[in-house]
Amino acid sequence: MPNQDKSKEKESRPTTRRDFLRGAGNYTVASLSGAAMLLADPKPAKANITWAEHFQKNYRLMTEEEKQEAIERLETRYSEEYGKKVTVDGTPSIEGVLFGYALNIQKCIGCRRCVKACVAENNQSRGDEQQIEWIRVLRMEKGNFSAEDRDQHGYPESFGVQVGGNAYKPAGVVLEGQHYYEPEQVPEKDAFYFPMQCMQCEKPPCVKVCPVRTTYRDPDGIVVIDYNWCIGCRMCIGACPYWARRFNWGEPNLPKEEMNPVTHYLGNRPRMKGVVEKCTYCVQRTRKGRWTACVEVCPVGARKFGNLLDPNSEIRKVLAKKKVFRLRADLNTYPKFFYFMD
Amino acid sequence: MMTSYRNHLSIMGLWLLAILSIKPSLGAGLEQTGECFESRDGMSQVDVHESAAGVVNVKCSPETGGVLWWGDPFEGTVPMGDMEVEADYWHEEAVVKPREPQIDRNKMLTICSMACHNGVYVPIPYNKDARPLKMHLDIIPDAMNLKHGKGGVWCLDCHHLVDRTKLIDNFGYSVSFNQPQKLCGKCHGQVYRAWRDGIHGKRIGMWDQGGKKRWWVCTECHNPHDVEQGDRNSGFAQLAPEPAPNLPKGMTNADHERMHHGPDKGDSTH
Ligand code: SF4
Ligand code: SF4
Repeated sequence: MPNQDKSKEKESRPTTRRDFLRGAGNYTVASLSGAAMLLADPKPAKANITWAEHFQKNYRLMTEEEKQEAIERLETRYSEEYGKKVTVDGTPSIEGVLFGYALNIQKCIGCRRCVKACVAENNQSRGDEQQIEWIRVLRMEKGNFSAEDRDQHGYPESFGVQVGGNAYKPAGVVLEGQHYYEPEQVPEKDAFYFPMQCMQCEKPPCVKVCPVRTTYRDPDGIVVIDYNWCIGCRMCIGACPYWARRFNWGEPNLPKEEMNPVTHYLGNRPRMKGVVEKCTYCVQRTRKGRWTACVEVCPVGARKFGNLLDPNSEIRKVLAKKKVFRLRADLNTYPKFFYFMD
Repeated sequence: MMTSYRNHLSIMGLWLLAILSIKPSLGAGLEQTGECFESRDGMSQVDVHESAAGVVNVKCSPETGGVLWWGDPFEGTVPMGDMEVEADYWHEEAVVKPREPQIDRNKMLTICSMACHNGVYVPIPYNKDARPLKMHLDIIPDAMNLKHGKGGVWCLDCHHLVDRTKLIDNFGYSVSFNQPQKLCGKCHGQVYRAWRDGIHGKRIGMWDQGGKKRWWVCTECHNPHDVEQGDRNSGFAQLAPEPAPNLPKGMTNADHERMHHGPDKGDSTH
């Protein structure tokens, strides 16, 4: 330790526990009176509301009244911030509904409209500084291992991550997914496309690791986040095997004109710096009966969505009639997002 | 003490809500005027406008002109009840967007059927071999690209012999342009059944049982004259994709992900 510090240490009076407590007490009183001043002044609504927001409980533990208060607070703050009437919905799960999703991987043309529709609906941060997209579309190249490769080279050592097939069977793909493909036109002849987003796992690893339990599975199967309780530790990002979660490293950029004012507390309400977000199956829409934005936008109709508990639903018909698989089924996460082929 | 703060806050919240009787603005920084397309560029156009106070009917991609978001998924639709589809759609409210206005955008349908194909004037061709007809290239520029059923299908297999405002099914019954599934389903029965089940094709609106749905019909997505777009073997015509995500900060290109690995490929970029 440098000498300077030592001398300082000698000079300073040892702090007793009692001193410390007194100091802390003063501090609390001071901040409370500050708050009182803030509350007395009606102008900075944002400050008042932020203060109250800091003291609210975990959404799951709130009483109905507390939820309502929290929602009203947010509506007020957002309406002021974005200069239009913003609604924050708190609709809970619908009884007898378990949401499921299916994507026809044979149909997808990789147009990325779902990605952009999702951003327009769900108020993600946009622009160069911090761009957040909940859906990613991977371009996969079609290809084969030739018979000669198989006979001459045996197990292809330098293949990196091999997707599908094995050393002695032609694998479908000899290239890992590409995020940044930019052809003039899609679909390309030698490629197929693989969209990924939150799979709303039935056994979600992200929920297991969250130290503050702010992300949890709702009864309709949607894994949601109370952004106010997220401490930004990003454990869930590490735990999710599907790369579904995104982090607000900076203050999100959400232009007023582009902001979608129809929001849900657990869904697309504007987020803040330092919290994690992900696809919620458009909870603000689907709990009101409307299809998700990505289902609606897909120009080829590759995306199907519905109630897994209803045997007449489209999703159940897909499961009954098509060839279906789930991504990384070996992980026992039980995704409720299925891929299918005709 | 905390309780009184809370009350105070909620009262203030209400009061604020009251004074902030905010006038809604159009919620779209995306394209707000002009025309964009739903699934088929040129054959599924929509005009962007305000459909209710503060709500646009659609939001479109500024890059590709594709519709990204429906404010009102049912605009311009008519009940599907007229279609007499024997579908199992839970007797819910099913609507469709009529195709005729799209097909008749350049008044082709109206003019052709009044001027020449009026049921009287044009003689019935003797040669009934399937072939593209080298006429009308001015109004149907891709007429020579006719490619349907591996060359086995031609104009008069689907279009009414004398009444050009109508299609025909394989029994010769006339079918409206608004109900192409009645014609297409005659050959593509399996796809037709999947479409009725809602697992082929597209629907927008409400997912729930009994909820209102807009069904999309065959020609809203497929080009019946050149279904597979040459030999691409995909039922959907190519279109421009939306822009790729931003590269991670500090990365200047995406060559890393274009690397081929494995025998004989070297580590060459694509
Ligand atoms: S996909 Fe990832 S974020 Fe979504 S529920 Fe599963 S583990 Fe959680
Ligand atoms: S919108 Fe549909 S076709 Fe386009 S990338 Fe998404 S899933 Fe694929």
